[in-house]
Amino acid sequence: MNDFLNLILEPLQEVFSKFKEFVPSLLAMLVILALGILLARVLRAVLVKFLVAVEFDNWSDRMGFTTLMRKGDLWVKPSAVFGAIVFWMLIIVTLMVGLSALKIAAIDNLVGQFFSYLPRVFSAAMILVVGYVVSSFISRGVLIAAANSGYHYAKLLAEAVRVLLMLMILAMVMEQLQIATSIVLSAFSIVFGGIVVALAIAFGVGGIGAAKRIIEREIAEEQPEKTQDDIEHI
Amino acid sequence: MSDFYQTGNITTLHQLGKPSLERLESELLGFAKTRPIALVLPALYSEFEGLAMPGIVQELTKVKYLNEIVLALDQATEADFKRVREFMAPIPAEVKIIHNKGKRISEVYETLKRNGLDAGPQGKGRSAWLAYGYVLARGKSDVIALHDCDIVTYSRELLARLCYPIASPNLNYVFCKGYYSRVTNKMNGRVTRLLVTPLVRSLQQLTGQHGFLAFLDSFRYSLAGEFSMSVDVARINRIPSDWGLEVGSLAEVYRNYSPRRVCQVDIAATYEHKHQALSSENAEKGLMKMAVDICKSIFRTLASDGVVFSEGLFRSLIVTYLRQAEDTLMKYEADAMINGLGFDRHEEAKAVEAFTRAIAMAAQAFVENPMGNPLIPNWNRVSAAIPDIFEMLKTAVDMDGK
Repeated sequence: MNDFLNLILEPLQEVFSKFKEFVPSLLAMLVILALGILLARVLRAVLVKFLVAVEFDNWSDRMGFTTLMRKGDLWVKPSAVFGAIVFWMLIIVTLMVGLSALKIAAIDNLVGQFFSYLPRVFSAAMILVVGYVVSSFISRGVLIAAANSGYHYAKLLAEAVRVLLMLMILAMVMEQLQIATSIVLSAFSIVFGGIVVALAIAFGVGGIGAAKRIIEREIAEEQPEKTQDDIEHI
Repeated sequence: MSDFYQTGNITTLHQLGKPSLERLESELLGFAKTRPIALVLPALYSEFEGLAMPGIVQELTKVKYLNEIVLALDQATEADFKRVREFMAPIPAEVKIIHNKGKRISEVYETLKRNGLDAGPQGKGRSAWLAYGYVLARGKSDVIALHDCDIVTYSRELLARLCYPIASPNLNYVFCKGYYSRVTNKMNGRVTRLLVTPLVRSLQQLTGQHGFLAFLDSFRYSLAGEFSMSVDVARINRIPSDWGLEVGSLAEVYRNYSPRRVCQVDIAATYEHKHQALSSENAEKGLMKMAVDICKSIFRTLASDGVVFSEGLFRSLIVTYLRQAEDTLMKYEADAMINGLGFDRHEEAKAVEAFTRAIAMAAQAFVENPMGNPLIPNWNRVSAAIPDIFEMLKTAVDMDGK
């Protein structure tokens, strides 16, 4: 009978002892989460105040980030969006740290992968931000230069330049994030290469006449002028 | 039928004989192919519940030459906005509605404000200004016409005559103001009749000939809310956000263009719209508020053009104005008598007394703060400060419309 009871109680005791071992870890995780959320909220408030003080919103308006947000139907202040991004990043980090406190091998592995991936996310974000500013700057430069040259489709040209640059930047970002790297690279090569080939064919075929005229004019200019006849014909 | 007398240094386009509306509209249809026309309507939701807006919409359904209509809707909830969208649906032209109280447009105003480009308080000035911005953002129209949305006697002839001088490539005008007689069974338009004209003439008497005063005096109805202009005017003109809107807009036109490129057109035989109470005891509302804002706008415009306003000048102005207004009152009494119109001389005299007080208040306000409320910046300046503002505005309106 005792053996039978032992058979029942032993697993229960084992579960209980494991649970006793697990409770401190669980408590630690909950404390980490609570503190992390509190810290994230405080940091968000401080960050938003700091961004407002340094006129981040105005800078964002001028750089075109605000318009980019609006196109994504995001109608709040850029500083609030930045604050929210940082807040959720901190929440994710807190969650990861909290989960690692549970000391479960599978989760530890996941947390490790997450933290090793973070630098990539950061550099991808930097590429995106800097790339957007640079592409806007170049696009505006193209617009001004083309408009001042009297080019009829200046706006279209500037937009095309912006789209191409953004395409390149997005490919770089995806590559950095290691999301379907080979597909992104192939797609980018095909699209970019296709555009270049299309332009080459368009200009090549369309510009045959113009090229011919330019070459003929060059040759005509290089030929020495005919010596004038001394004899005056009647 | 009006006479053919040309007033002052701008062109007056009279209604002579019975011009055919069909001819006007067919010509406008031709002009609109090369110079597309946008109609801007600054409206309150309450105007859709009254008599005026249903009539206006019914008339606009028959208009074929408009490229787009931009309705700047104020004091409307989300549900009101949806109702207005349905209400405007029968109009054949493309209708875009700016929901001024909507979340997205509020954010656009917030963006402007934090960049030091305050569009001022809610009102016709701000609504009209934002609607111009939207027309510029779309870049699909060359001519902008604007009229109020409280016109009970609206007919599409008014719109056709308003658009014609600017839309026609054969006429070299950039700004056109509508005029009409504000007569029912009595004479209305007290602020123009008894304040603006006598005030302008009094100022001319005191300060001598001045270009702006002569320009202002050339308009038969300087406070008319109906005008048309080329998009370039909308791009470079700053406008006041208060009741000085009409006078302030004329001041900007005077500053930026030659009077030879400005005209006024007779747009309606009769014109009836919402009337404001005089509120002679309260300078914060009604015609008194309007009168004070208009006077301040005139003083500021003249001061910015080098006219020196001293205390003595203001004292003389009040007395001169009173004499001018009393003389004007007698003229209108005679005019009313011969036409069999009702004329309450006591009420008119009370209005003159109230306007005299308004001039004194405006003078005091001007002395205390010559700069006053800044004008809403022009769109060139706004786009210099926030290069993507047009894109943002377009996105906001288009998303609201979905």
